[in-house]
Amino acid sequence: MRGEKRFIEGNIAIVEGAIAAGARFYAGYPISPSSEIAEYSARLLPRVGGLYIQMEDEISSMAALLGASVAGKKAYTATSGPGVSLMQENLGLGIMSEIPAVIIDVQRSGPSTGAATKPAQGDLMQARWGAHGDHSIIALSPASVQECFDLTVCAFNLAEKYRTPVYLLADETIGHLRETVTIRELEPDEIVSRKQPAEDVGPEDFRPYRYDGIMPEAMPPFGSDRYLSRTTGSTHDEKGEFRPVPENIHRVTHYLTDKIEKNAEDICMTKGWYLDDAETAFITWGCATRSALGAMEQLRARGEKVGMLQLQTVWPMPEKEIRSVLSSVKTVVVPELNLGQAAGEIRKFNDYGCKVVQANRVDGILISPEQIIRVWKEAEQHGEL
Amino acid sequence: MKMQIVLSGVGGQGLVSTGEMIGEAASIHENVYATLAASYGSETRGTFTKSEVIVSDEPISYPNVDEPDIILCLAQVAYDRYIDTFHDKTMVFYDTELVRPSESARGVHVGYPFKQMGIEMGNAAVANTIALGVIAKRTNILKRSSLEASVSEYFAAKPKVIGINLQALNAGFSLD
Amino acid sequence: MANYKDYMLFEKLPHTWCAGCGHGIILQAIADAFAMQGLDKHDIALVSGIGCFGRVDDYLDINCMHVTHGRALPAATGIALANPELHVLVTMGDGDGATIGGNHLIHCARRNINLTAVIANNYNYGQTGGQYSGTTPAGSITATSPYGHVEPGFDICKLAEAAGAPFVARTTPYNPMQIRNLIKRGMQTRGFALIEVMDTCPTHYGRLNKFGDAGPMLEKLNNMTVPVEKASSMSGEELEGRIVTGVLTDRPREDYYTRYKRIIDRLSTEKGSVPSA
Repeated sequence: MRGEKRFIEGNIAIVEGAIAAGARFYAGYPISPSSEIAEYSARLLPRVGGLYIQMEDEISSMAALLGASVAGKKAYTATSGPGVSLMQENLGLGIMSEIPAVIIDVQRSGPSTGAATKPAQGDLMQARWGAHGDHSIIALSPASVQECFDLTVCAFNLAEKYRTPVYLLADETIGHLRETVTIRELEPDEIVSRKQPAEDVGPEDFRPYRYDGIMPEAMPPFGSDRYLSRTTGSTHDEKGEFRPVPENIHRVTHYLTDKIEKNAEDICMTKGWYLDDAETAFITWGCATRSALGAMEQLRARGEKVGMLQLQTVWPMPEKEIRSVLSSVKTVVVPELNLGQAAGEIRKFNDYGCKVVQANRVDGILISPEQIIRVWKEAEQHGEL
Repeated sequence: MKMQIVLSGVGGQGLVSTGEMIGEAASIHENVYATLAASYGSETRGTFTKSEVIVSDEPISYPNVDEPDIILCLAQVAYDRYIDTFHDKTMVFYDTELVRPSESARGVHVGYPFKQMGIEMGNAAVANTIALGVIAKRTNILKRSSLEASVSEYFAAKPKVIGINLQALNAGFSLD
Repeated sequence: MANYKDYMLFEKLPHTWCAGCGHGIILQAIADAFAMQGLDKHDIALVSGIGCFGRVDDYLDINCMHVTHGRALPAATGIALANPELHVLVTMGDGDGATIGGNHLIHCARRNINLTAVIANNYNYGQTGGQYSGTTPAGSITATSPYGHVEPGFDICKLAEAAGAPFVARTTPYNPMQIRNLIKRGMQTRGFALIEVMDTCPTHYGRLNKFGDAGPMLEKLNNMTVPVEKASSMSGEELEGRIVTGVLTDRPREDYYTRYKRIIDRLSTEKGSVPSA
């Protein structure tokens, strides 16, 4: 496998990951701290026969992504929280219509314009719930430049496999961090291509949707010379035809959630450190992972039994892995650049009397290992549940 | 080995570039780990800026530098901001015409008129590369050949400035 | 010879539109425009938004993408760029195309994306009960302008023309042959084509403004029209309150994809594929 070692920032590695995964269409609207993704995509895409288009806003960007995807391209966009706010309308369309796409959110401090160039992790719930109606979502979050490459590839694969928009929740720290990374061409079996109808499915028999299980139907592109296809944001039946009757609304709503929640084991990725003997665990995602690693190294050097669980998949929450930690350690510390968005989710699984404490920082600066250690110490002494 | 480096000054002095050259030399030519966290703001010229670089033979966790082992200060505002973090062993490199060091400051101070030397060499913009040469020579963090390679690669798209930057790097290495 | 019926889903009829609404006439004209060109259904993509006219895809047996309110043009932009071989048709109402989607309309025209937009302009939001839109004329009574509308309406064709659209035309359901001919010409224009069909909504706009039933309303609409050839010799005063029909703009210019493809082709012949970041 040909790998090329480079010293680049996370935003650039994301573009490399997208191209390696087969993405050939980008539509977006520039916004800090994600703009390098747009700029580098504009440079790279036409070199591989792909297209870059800068739309008039994030609403149209998301719409164009879905259009390109329906016509057969792997498509992506990059933005930050304010842009995600605008993309939510057509994110919902992508979920209901089951159209693969990848949305990269390089999180910054908010709400609104906030501190536009400062890191934050405040979009976790926006990613989960930012579209009206019941739905589930897949979101991955990188904690290193290497993961920017690797998880972007995973994001495209999951988008194709589950026929749904997928988030990559990066942040300013990781997006602008430069570090050593291996960029490589992927082997064919590392790339998920869009499922096409089986040979024996005739044009008359083909249905663009299915609701009898937890996996989506095949998706031939518009322009296929064999199949006509139909997508719609209206509640529809297997033919893609509008069908707003109670039993259909019921099954479609359940299906859209089930296809993600019931496939959580396949979708959820985590990384663990020293969890075998840990008495305290840090459960982390995104940039705070780096701070927690620093804290863990310091504490391990002092002989403290500290371990870590990094959530590479943040939606759906890796419940099994989180429960395993909660049931085996005395204290869990959740460091985040928000006021406790992941911590609240982790507490939902805490049926084990584990002490779950938060280490939060929302001043636009990456949380430090020292702050995490301080929170841990307080919890050890007299922390509350 | 883990070296924490801060490159500080004001926007437009090429400090991110210097950080990238260190990072590339370390990660690509010396096969060790490196991170670079640069400060981002809407102002890119004339206001305080810093690049935090870590070079280590082990994977790097927390990428920010709170207490540098090595610091380059190309502006008074930068020096003043970091002075309290200096230890006795901190290597403090500064531009003698842009920074007035404090007499009470800790650390090993090494000063040269980097900007003026750049101007005499024909381009003030290479002051940072001269400083890089001095830093590498005094601290042995990276081999000269690695830096020469990373400088050449960094400016590959602008072949005209490779020469003067290599000259600047070597000028830095030749300073006592 | 292809027939318009080849492109229709007859089992979906009767359609959802009110008696006297012009949308059905436009639907048939769209299917007939495909037939006149003998298009393979697989090569057609229709993108529709939300509104009464957004339901047009329900009755067509082609590739259809039914999207959110106002976003049909950007979705179609993605399709047209991702597969430049497709004939992309976009069906919108005045709310969809020129009000909530007005920003997309001007940018799509400016970029010159290769697609054909058909806007059925019936001066109000029919599907939600007849509220005013961006094209409702001043003084009109609608569900949300019960005392008379205080805003002037957009001239969609002038808007598209000013934004750079290479082909702009207008017609009415009184003249179904003209609709299909103009849609066909629009589809044969490489680039952004807009066909505005001034439409009737007897249920809401017509009723509230006392235009009578569908018949008289269509008649009234037709009486307001002036063919563009005749309009060229009329004064501004004479054209006040009249609807100019026919091909208003026909000035081909290179479309977005053609221009972008040139960049792709140029880069593919250059040495060294990966630029450094």
